[in-house]
Amino acid sequence: MTLPKGFGTGGGATSADVEQMIGRRVENMGGLITLAYIAAWLATFGGTAAGYFYYPWAYPTNSGHFAFIVLTIIESTGYLFCMKVTQEGSNKKSDGMIAVVMGSIAVGTLFISMFVGF
Amino acid sequence: MAQMPALIPKEVEIQRLKKIWLMIIALGSIAASVEVDNFVDGSLHQTSIRDSAFTPAHWWLYSHFVALPIGWGMVAVYDRKVPVLRGPNNSMNTGLKMAILGYLATMFTIGINEMWHFWFVEEIFAVPNHWMFNMGVVVAFIGALAYVIRIYARLIELGAETPGENPYVAEMYKMALEGKLYSRSIP
Repeated sequence: MTLPKGFGTGGGATSADVEQMIGRRVENMGGLITLAYIAAWLATFGGTAAGYFYYPWAYPTNSGHFAFIVLTIIESTGYLFCMKVTQEGSNKKSDGMIAVVMGSIAVGTLFISMFVGF
Repeated sequence: MAQMPALIPKEVEIQRLKKIWLMIIALGSIAASVEVDNFVDGSLHQTSIRDSAFTPAHWWLYSHFVALPIGWGMVAVYDRKVPVLRGPNNSMNTGLKMAILGYLATMFTIGINEMWHFWFVEEIFAVPNHWMFNMGVVVAFIGALAYVIRIYARLIELGAETPGENPYVAEMYKMALEGKLYSRSIP
């Protein structure tokens, strides 16, 4: 087992050394990933809204909403993959939070697609 | 299944591979988004032959084509923490190299494309400046696929992922681990 300089005392790695090499564990990144997902979704709304508010001659609202829905599906799939990859094999289970977040985003997407920009 | 030498503790390697995995999922989502914009931009150009570099469809396309090589470059920086992902002669992993080069090609094609359209306004899909977008993406996808399979095969080897139940798929991963799936020059 090879460790960087400064790890361990006179050879051999302790569990503290291993933890230091890992840094923040992926199973503890759920909050960060969720925030990134929500931020990406909001940015997607902003991007598509820029299309139909400022360039309505080129981007009808319905087209913007279609792109928004497709991109939300892509982002949701990515979010689900990220959460599952990070938590599989660990004691961490955030299925409830994942369901609430993805459900809220789905409802928000439907709401925006029906009532915004017309 | 051939065991690769462990140069870092197993738990550390699994965590690092999964962090790379997260970056790849994010970059894959960006790539999927570019594919959506391919249709958005294409449909726009059927009505307005050539607009300008500054339309939402072009912001979308161009910003992603800048984000992708930078993102894959960040993967390359972090990738150095996982010794088993090194390429021939301790260089960058070949698949990763192809992904970066492919997306760099698309990034520089933004400029080429704008220069071309300065003189030739026809937005025909098959004009040569558009070839570079498509070829760059294809090269990047092939490289990214090789890199993803390498990481997945290593996660299987470390016991962090379940091998495919389909015997043909399982055999494919076994061959990938033994360096026989593509070529011995691609680790």
